[in-house]
Amino acid sequence: MIEPLISIRLEGGQRQFRPGEQLRCEYQLDAVDPADVQSVEASVLWHTEGKGDEDLGVHFFERLVPSDVEGEDLCALRRLATVLPKSPLTYAGVLVKVRWCVRIRAFLRRGKEVFFEQSFVLGDVPPARSVCAPVSTAPERTHAPEDQF
Amino acid sequence: MARTFRLWEKKRGDRRTGSPLVGGLGEALFFGVLFLLGSVSSAYLIAAHGLGAAPPLRQPGFGFWLMVLVVVSFMLIGGSGVVYTVLQVGTSAERRSALARRAAQFDLLSDALLVRRAYPTIPPDANLTNSPGVRLAYRLPVTHAGPWVLFVSTAFFLVWNSIAVVLGMVALRGHLAARPDWYLSVFVLALAAIGVWATYFFVHQVLRHTGIGPTTVEISDHPLWPGRTYDLYVSQTGRFHIRSFEVLLVCEEEATYRQGTDLRTERCRVHAQELYRREEFRIEPGDAFEVECRLPVPALAMHSLQTHHNAVHWMVLVRNDAASWPLIERSFPVVVLPGEVAEVRP
Repeated sequence: MIEPLISIRLEGGQRQFRPGEQLRCEYQLDAVDPADVQSVEASVLWHTEGKGDEDLGVHFFERLVPSDVEGEDLCALRRLATVLPKSPLTYAGVLVKVRWCVRIRAFLRRGKEVFFEQSFVLGDVPPARSVCAPVSTAPERTHAPEDQF
Repeated sequence: MARTFRLWEKKRGDRRTGSPLVGGLGEALFFGVLFLLGSVSSAYLIAAHGLGAAPPLRQPGFGFWLMVLVVVSFMLIGGSGVVYTVLQVGTSAERRSALARRAAQFDLLSDALLVRRAYPTIPPDANLTNSPGVRLAYRLPVTHAGPWVLFVSTAFFLVWNSIAVVLGMVALRGHLAARPDWYLSVFVLALAAIGVWATYFFVHQVLRHTGIGPTTVEISDHPLWPGRTYDLYVSQTGRFHIRSFEVLLVCEEEATYRQGTDLRTERCRVHAQELYRREEFRIEPGDAFEVECRLPVPALAMHSLQTHHNAVHWMVLVRNDAASWPLIERSFPVVVLPGEVAEVRP
């Protein structure tokens, strides 16, 4: 049996977004009979990776069943658009990593489900690395009065 | 066969091997049996009480009400477990998260909630800005694990030394009566050795909390924005010779995870920026060492983050290396917001 295919395309091939910018994307299901698709969930979400247990936050969520769409065809090309939030920004830390993605999940007959996700970057935070000793930077203005004791 | 019926499965946090459907069925079965047990038992108790044919234990009284309490708790735990399990089956993590977010929006429109909506996952700073400073706008609260260490060391010191003294007196009485118990004597010596260490640690903790005076940190504005610079005022009182006194801007990552039945937390420092440093000076009683310095927040800093299991904490750290004292670090948390002026690379 052929696995259903889910394709997601971010508009303009853009992979990096600013906080507050609008994300637009298209998604489509292939290689599956539309009659076999019970529902489709489209989400724009962030999740954590790394040492800690996973946290997940959904920014945009839409659930469609056949009666919600024209022709009751959930496989057709659909679009979603959402204004991205100001946080959390994408982050590649040492213990904590924050990833953003568009995730499409399709629920098929007989309890089967498939999903596909397209990751993107929110913000421009550089990767972090562990520091053992303080990184000294010259302060702009420091003074300690000598006569303060 | 072994793949179908696994006796042992791996589990880390919410992630696990094996079929979630089979796991859900197992949970539903367990809670269903518990609910059934509670229902049948409560029906039997009520019926027996109504008919007046209950055995003595099940007559109204302490035993009867205790049994009612137990069987009703079975019903409640079993019933809510079945409902929770059914809601979990066939629902994606995204849908559950979206439902939880929608439910949270029904909360009262407090200032903290409005900030949380504008900046999701960033901790509110209400507790950091409710204390005005003398020199600058806000006086930052201090966070440290010191009081717990002092409490535990005090409890251990009292309990351990009490046991050691009582057993020591028993052993001494045996020696005075010319009937020495050498096993007990050796045991008491071992107890006393640990007691000496507990006393030293207790005194050390007491001196650490009472000998070094309070540290005060004030800041010109809050919350902090990447790329901006703030004024900082630090004051340290006490009476000691300082080998080195440092003020740092620190960022730490914190990850909490379950390992078996244990809940573990790991921290990693990813940024440490020296704001001020001075070496070899004295603080006299009645005087305060005061310093004003600048706090530049890196332009591309990661913002503060607080989720259920992961966090990014920013803090002003005052590190005090005084002669004859252990190194003392006091941290003053701050909240850094995401930068809005950062350019996004194409």
